[in-house]
Amino acid sequence: MMQVDIWFEQLEFVLLAGIVIFLAWLALEHRDIVYAAFFFGFMASFVSGFYFLLEAPFIAGMQIAVYTGGISALIVFAVLLLPRAQDSSLEIFATPKRRGIGLAISTLVGMLSASLALFFPWYDTFSPDLPPLEFNLEFLSQWLWSEHGIYVMMTALILLTAIVGAIAILQMDKAESLLSIQGEFGIESVEEPIDDEASVEEPSEEVGNE
Amino acid sequence: MIPLSWYLAVSFILIGLGVYGMMVKRNLIRILIGAEIMGNGVNIALVAVSIYSPVFSFVGQGLIILVISVAAAHTALAMVLMLIYNRRYNTVDLGTPISLEDDEHV
Repeated sequence: MMQVDIWFEQLEFVLLAGIVIFLAWLALEHRDIVYAAFFFGFMASFVSGFYFLLEAPFIAGMQIAVYTGGISALIVFAVLLLPRAQDSSLEIFATPKRRGIGLAISTLVGMLSASLALFFPWYDTFSPDLPPLEFNLEFLSQWLWSEHGIYVMMTALILLTAIVGAIAILQMDKAESLLSIQGEFGIESVEEPIDDEASVEEPSEEVGNE
Repeated sequence: MIPLSWYLAVSFILIGLGVYGMMVKRNLIRILIGAEIMGNGVNIALVAVSIYSPVFSFVGQGLIILVISVAAAHTALAMVLMLIYNRRYNTVDLGTPISLEDDEHV
């Protein structure tokens, strides 16, 4: 019975790994970038399955919330905000030579690191003092907030800086593209006030008609 | 029980795919997706190593929380930079030849 459980767990892992790798490949290679963005979102959801298998449910929830709900939604927004990106006929694809070199280098990186993973004598079982699954969040939050609260604050600061920085960069770019109004009395003045001009012209037309 | 090496193999394959995407692709959105796939691979490796280590610690899981938050921040920033690139050069492909004479901001 125990052996069947182990096989079932390994089967789950193999299925998850296959789906994740296939979806990652589709996210990179699908010609339509909207589909590619959605495939990335699905891949991020399936990655959370690994965290469930590793008995880290909070990380799995965070993976779904941030990667699937946040980052992939941001990527979809980016695609929608860039009309040129939606048209796959305008996209420049890599030349076969560039593609071959990239494939060779990434295969080399993947094979070297995968061989290290497979042949290095890693530990085969979970840590013996792994806390029970139901206390995972409690212990994790204790660990984070008791001794390592400074890192949480640093992360909050980084997030805040990134958001403010992103807005500031966009506004700066908008401000740079505005043209100044150059007039007789300086940059912010106009040559003839529009309201006065209209109020002067109207009576003169009436006089002419009479 | 699933051996740690299986998790590491999957994570390294994802890192390899991310490297491929970042090296080969020219579209900025695809490059960003490649970077995120790499990040996912690194996250799996970190959590797996921390869970399987002989002396258990929450370092791996705590680190992942920070890494995921920072990933969200850098994606937001990357999106803004992409929008600005598109506004200035009217393309999101890095391979497109750009004339600096057309750029008002240079």
